[in-house]
Amino acid sequence: MDWKELQSASFLECTARRRALALVDEGTFTELAGPRDRMTSPHLPELGEAVSFDDGVVTGVGLVGERPVFVISQEGRFIGGAVGEVHGAKMAGVFKLALRAYDEACRRHPDEPERYRPAIVISFETGGVRLHEANAGLLAHAEIMDLMQDTKGKLPVVAVIGSKVGCFGGMGFVAAATDAVVMSPQGRLGLTGPEVIEQEMGKDEFDASDKSLISRTTGGKHKYIMQDCNVLCDDRVSAFRDALCALLAMPYEELVKYRRIGSYALVKEQMGLTALAAALNPFDAKDVWQYFGNGEADALPELGTEEFLAVARRREREV
Amino acid sequence: MALRHLEFSYDGVPGASIPREWAHSGVVGSGDMEVLLFRREQQGKVKVKVCTPVVGFDHVWEKVLGKFVADSGCGDLDLEINDNNATPFIVSLRLRQALLEARGGES
Repeated sequence: MDWKELQSASFLECTARRRALALVDEGTFTELAGPRDRMTSPHLPELGEAVSFDDGVVTGVGLVGERPVFVISQEGRFIGGAVGEVHGAKMAGVFKLALRAYDEACRRHPDEPERYRPAIVISFETGGVRLHEANAGLLAHAEIMDLMQDTKGKLPVVAVIGSKVGCFGGMGFVAAATDAVVMSPQGRLGLTGPEVIEQEMGKDEFDASDKSLISRTTGGKHKYIMQDCNVLCDDRVSAFRDALCALLAMPYEELVKYRRIGSYALVKEQMGLTALAAALNPFDAKDVWQYFGNGEADALPELGTEEFLAVARRREREV
Repeated sequence: MALRHLEFSYDGVPGASIPREWAHSGVVGSGDMEVLLFRREQQGKVKVKVCTPVVGFDHVWEKVLGKFVADSGCGDLDLEINDNNATPFIVSLRLRQALLEARGGES
């Protein structure tokens, strides 16, 4: 499938490599540390587990207009997109490259920072740490969070979430720490994944076989109402790409207003939500939607993206 | 417990390689595999390396890969496979897809 055909494809069904290729401009993607470099996990063979030449993540760089866009795209079909040592190191490497590109752009184009400012886009599809190499995976998460802070004030980091596995575990934190989050209704974002909640707290607390419950609690529509997701788009590659291009076209100082965490005021806002959750004691996500002004909460999950965007009332942001 | 590395060599058709120097295809999902293909001038030989967690199916690999080389009429290739419990049918399918993609240009 070439770039043009990919644009009309379902984002949900795309492999990590296709997503990476199609998010940036046609013919501009260059994969770095790709399969030919055979950077496989040193830990999985010891456990008799299959390895992958890219360790489950596609990394590289492309262009959106004149702007270099550094891409990280996780493959959920390989061990659930879980982050091991090599996978994590490849992600961290992309951050380091992007930061160097920012310094270079400042040096070469001191008068036009907006035009040449690099960006990072992460197409998440992961359950977080790879338990087979958990210490290395955790360290990778810490390193990536550290590098994420280094990007603040320099270059935007955009999360796109619309793949089968969703974005959970430690990578849920990483996604939350980006500057902007784009999701499709099929995208899912959370910390503790549904299966783990059920395993730890029982089926009464959370029934992980209930697809609509999972969608209501972690899906794109809920995250959009709650303002955890900034842009909700259709499950189409071109829709994600258009959303990404629109975000990158914004002045950096405007784009960073999409952040959900990262300042004292934002932390205060999040703490207010915690207090609200305790006061409301909602039984279902629908109760929360109703609280934020969606009288017809039952109808929301059934609506197409366009209809949903037209009628959905979102939580008012304080910051 | 550790992963197994198998190597096979077949007589293919000289010159029946792939246009580019190398190509890659597939995802190591459960019951699936990926393959790296390299153009190599070696009197038509097709050499295959397989990395798999499965024990006791070496002769099946030899037959499935041999049939792929014979049926596809390929040659002058090195293949490297990462397998995750793919069935013989899936292996044949993925190899044919990989060769098609490598020859068709776009992935």
